[in-house]
Amino acid sequence: MKRVDVARVLGEETTTEDLFVSSIGGILDDWWNHRPGGEDNTISVSILGSVSSTALGLAIALPHRRIVAIETDGSVLMNLGILCTLGAERPSNLTIVVLDNGLYECIGSAPTLTSRNADLEKIAEGAGVLNTATVTDEDTLRALLRSQLEDDELGFVVAKIEPGMEVWPQEKRRYTDGVEDKYRFIRHVEKLEGIVVHAGQPHV
Amino acid sequence: MTVTEHEQSQPTAELPPYAVAFVDALRQANVTLVGTLPESLLKSVYVGIDRAEDIRLVRVSNEADLPGLVAGAYLGGKRALMITENSGLRQACEPIARLAFAHHVPLVMVVSYRGDFGEPNWWGHNHSQVMGPLLDALRIPYRIVDRIDQLASSVEKAFLHADASQWPVCLVMTGECIEGGVA
Repeated sequence: MKRVDVARVLGEETTTEDLFVSSIGGILDDWWNHRPGGEDNTISVSILGSVSSTALGLAIALPHRRIVAIETDGSVLMNLGILCTLGAERPSNLTIVVLDNGLYECIGSAPTLTSRNADLEKIAEGAGVLNTATVTDEDTLRALLRSQLEDDELGFVVAKIEPGMEVWPQEKRRYTDGVEDKYRFIRHVEKLEGIVVHAGQPHV
Repeated sequence: MTVTEHEQSQPTAELPPYAVAFVDALRQANVTLVGTLPESLLKSVYVGIDRAEDIRLVRVSNEADLPGLVAGAYLGGKRALMITENSGLRQACEPIARLAFAHHVPLVMVVSYRGDFGEPNWWGHNHSQVMGPLLDALRIPYRIVDRIDQLASSVEKAFLHADASQWPVCLVMTGECIEGGVA
């Protein structure tokens, strides 16, 4: 199972009603091409270590809506403490999918510490996170996502993936920057929720 | 008189006026989520928020988790803020720069002014020595709040300023607005 396979399965098992917080790096273009509905439903945060915390804030803000965090081993390893907060808060509408290839693949495939003895599923379980699991194939991933996305409980799936980055043609690559991403995501949330997130103030 | 670091017991009964006013200020500003790594100078505030049924308090183990938490809530249309000791700004620098700055997120931060004039703890002085230059280097506007009657307007202005600029702001609590503090 490769990164792009996880993106495809996740895209097929989620809907245009869901919201996503993803890491940047290798997943960016894979998810851009597999996100449900081609909507502006994903904020791809530009830092390792803040994906799950951002998803937690979003999940608390919108408790009626399914939120999926698309994490990576490098990102989770950078801020393991957030797992303790997730284990304490246990938002029922949040599912975390960790792409774990044991590598910092984008910067030349230096190994992460999951390539040695660190086990993210066990760390998360020890932190109090519910429904932790590790999967290595597409069918198991799909079955697990179906149950985790529907179970109304916090979920944490470590998807062990093989190295290898999909090379997308130029026209299929994500081209937006972080500021445009934010505004597009906000406008999507406003439409989806029927709320105003950022209206600006009248000139005074 | 300022509180010493040895007075660590948690408030169990009536909260001091500054904490009551602080929670009221959050409520008036429609804040529904507060993320924190608790510390001693605002300890009654955390108790007050914990008691407030309309404001959710989320505790983290590292201040670096707070910008993400607050950013996520903002993207979901809720007013949220983070509260830490001023030393927590140092820990949160990377997500402030790479998350809040990179996406222009109006992050509202409240910090206690550890090391303000009269600080009795030797270890607290570097917190104040670093705080101002750090906030200036980060280009984050900040205001010092030292009077209880400034709390409500300061919190509301912090949200207005952050939202209009799409950039973080910081309120620095001292004087009447910290545990055992006086103007």
